[in-house]
Amino acid sequence: MTMTHPGLPLFWVVIIVTAMLAIIIWALMTKAPVSYEKKELSLTKVPFIGGVFRYLSVQTLPLLILKVLVAFVFIVIVTAGLWGTPIVERNIATSITWNLWWAGIVVAILFSGSAWCAICPWDNIATCLVEHRLWRRSNSHTRLHLKVPVILRSVWPASLLFIGFTWLELGVGIVSSPYATAVLAVLMVVLATTCLALYEGKAFCRYMCPVGRTVGAYSQLSPVALRPIDLDVCRSCTSLECYHGSDLIAPCPTKLVMGRLQENTYCTACGNCSQSCPSKNIAWQLRSPSYEVMVSARPHTDEACFMLILFSLTVFHGFTMLDSWPDMMSAMARSFGDSGKLLISFSVGLVACIMVPSLIYGFFVLLSKKISVDATRTNYSHFFSGFSFSVLPLAFSYHMAHNFGHFFRERNNWSELITNPLGVGAQPLSMAEKHARHMDMMIPESVLFSLQGVFMLAGFFIAVQVVRYRGGRLFSMAGKKLLPMLTFVLLVTLFNVWMLVQPMTMRM
Amino acid sequence: MKSNKVKRIFVLLQCLFFLIASHSSLAHHVLGRPSYSLNEDSNTPPSMAIETQIGDYFVTYMIFPAFPKPSEPGRVNLYVTRIDDGSILSVPVSFYVLDDKLFSGWPLLGDPVVPEKIGVQNVDDGIFRQGFVFKERGSYIIRAYFEVGDEPYEIDFPLQVGKAPAVGPIGFLLGLLILLLVSVNLVQRKRIARSKFQKEKNST
Repeated sequence: MTMTHPGLPLFWVVIIVTAMLAIIIWALMTKAPVSYEKKELSLTKVPFIGGVFRYLSVQTLPLLILKVLVAFVFIVIVTAGLWGTPIVERNIATSITWNLWWAGIVVAILFSGSAWCAICPWDNIATCLVEHRLWRRSNSHTRLHLKVPVILRSVWPASLLFIGFTWLELGVGIVSSPYATAVLAVLMVVLATTCLALYEGKAFCRYMCPVGRTVGAYSQLSPVALRPIDLDVCRSCTSLECYHGSDLIAPCPTKLVMGRLQENTYCTACGNCSQSCPSKNIAWQLRSPSYEVMVSARPHTDEACFMLILFSLTVFHGFTMLDSWPDMMSAMARSFGDSGKLLISFSVGLVACIMVPSLIYGFFVLLSKKISVDATRTNYSHFFSGFSFSVLPLAFSYHMAHNFGHFFRERNNWSELITNPLGVGAQPLSMAEKHARHMDMMIPESVLFSLQGVFMLAGFFIAVQVVRYRGGRLFSMAGKKLLPMLTFVLLVTLFNVWMLVQPMTMRM
Repeated sequence: MKSNKVKRIFVLLQCLFFLIASHSSLAHHVLGRPSYSLNEDSNTPPSMAIETQIGDYFVTYMIFPAFPKPSEPGRVNLYVTRIDDGSILSVPVSFYVLDDKLFSGWPLLGDPVVPEKIGVQNVDDGIFRQGFVFKERGSYIIRAYFEVGDEPYEIDFPLQVGKAPAVGPIGFLLGLLILLLVSVNLVQRKRIARSKFQKEKNST
């Protein structure tokens, strides 16, 4: 028997749709926003906790302890995957990787920005193998420091790897194989190590890592980020330790200059800048969660495509968990004569789910270009990349709302997994246990629905604001001229809400 | 009074002892049968169950025992019912076995997949039962095949016999990693030596 989670109740749908229509009418009636007042507060200046953040910014020990801890957990995961039980729910490799990390990382971005990248075990183990140390400048002979080939210098490698990840996760079904999970984990370490050994900086993190780029894209919406405490100090700085590093501390792995940083996309929160800055001017900052996507982030075509792929794959994840997905796959498989794991049908479905939202977006961008005053002066690609930030809050909000369902409903027996991570002698879950886990939620169901509803509305509101600000600033568009892009945002959110209303198949 | 209290404690301790003792005997016997006498034909052996839907049918597949070992008999139980009315499939089902090696069946990379027929079973009390004995450990795929009307149905289920190989792709990846690190180290040392030599040559 397939078990499903109940969908969002109609009550919440009515509230969301009413609020959405009100926001759309407001956006069409108002003039283009002239300026946006940036609100930010360095966490080092907050009473009581300021000292903690000052300590965290300049000391290496806390970060080092976290790196070692996460690397240890990673090694346990690989060990359990290789030598543990093949029963998915009884093996810590699959439980931590797919139920905790994969579902929780998006939630973590909301509270900690790109901090995950700083403790990522793929990069840390690679750094240990290649540079033989975890944080300081290294003179290891195991690096060639070659220039990254031009063909790799975009986020296309990360986009393709992300599609590959989704294919492996949902198509091949590595989520239900601890062994395959361990192989994938080791493969990522091999990729990170290869890039670190061959190329300068951290080419894997910047151009190839699908998780890192997802964290980078979503962290543009995070209310916390590493930033200068006083921008004037950075303006008068000539030595740029944040970029070049110091005698002890390595340079920025993704070649960012803190004083000129406009977007969080490539910051891995490694802390090299905060530790090397002679003025101790870099620290964690609280900021407006929408400022970057609305105003400061600069549009690039490859990043725009990555955001669209991220959005499409997020929707695709939800789509594959609907009750109707297996029937669609079966119907498609019959028409192709596909059998076995239905990988051809799945691959066709995956490509279609990436193409359809992208083509719809492209169509609405084309409509926007046609009615804009800049139609003849501005390229289509400028419109395409300029408005692409509007899909980011839509993807993030749906991703959060969807993952909340998994995170709060699908409980693992963590005490059992920690005491027996390899699942030695464990038996498969009985139907009674599955039912018990299904019924035993971490939070009340009404709270979960409220969270999902609030996130969908917040995502929609930020997306509308992105359309207003970017439309006004980049293409001098306001009011009714924004109708095509506002329609796109409305349609996408309505589709996402419809998916949340549907019962969702449990992963266990 | 005091002896009554001692008596009561003694009775309680006795009860506790029998409770603990009976608990351990339950662990040793399943429904009154000693656990060592359970096999693939027992009515309550440990099993691995997989459920799926294909076309108009709801399929449940159980493997006995849950983790079959090489040279030990095992059994596949297949339950096939229509999704719409719950009626049991009545046509015969053919069972095949295939190797599930990495890249098997992939063009250029792996060997072609050749299914081996292990039996044809008729429904018996709503179940299609197929016995098996694998001599070698490994990853296999059991394929159940039946036709309803003109429509062929092919359902593949994974079957692990014995422990999964711990090396294999992982050993390959680790070997690759070591080879890479050693090669890069050698090339880099050579580059440094060459640049030192060039510097010395230029200075003289």
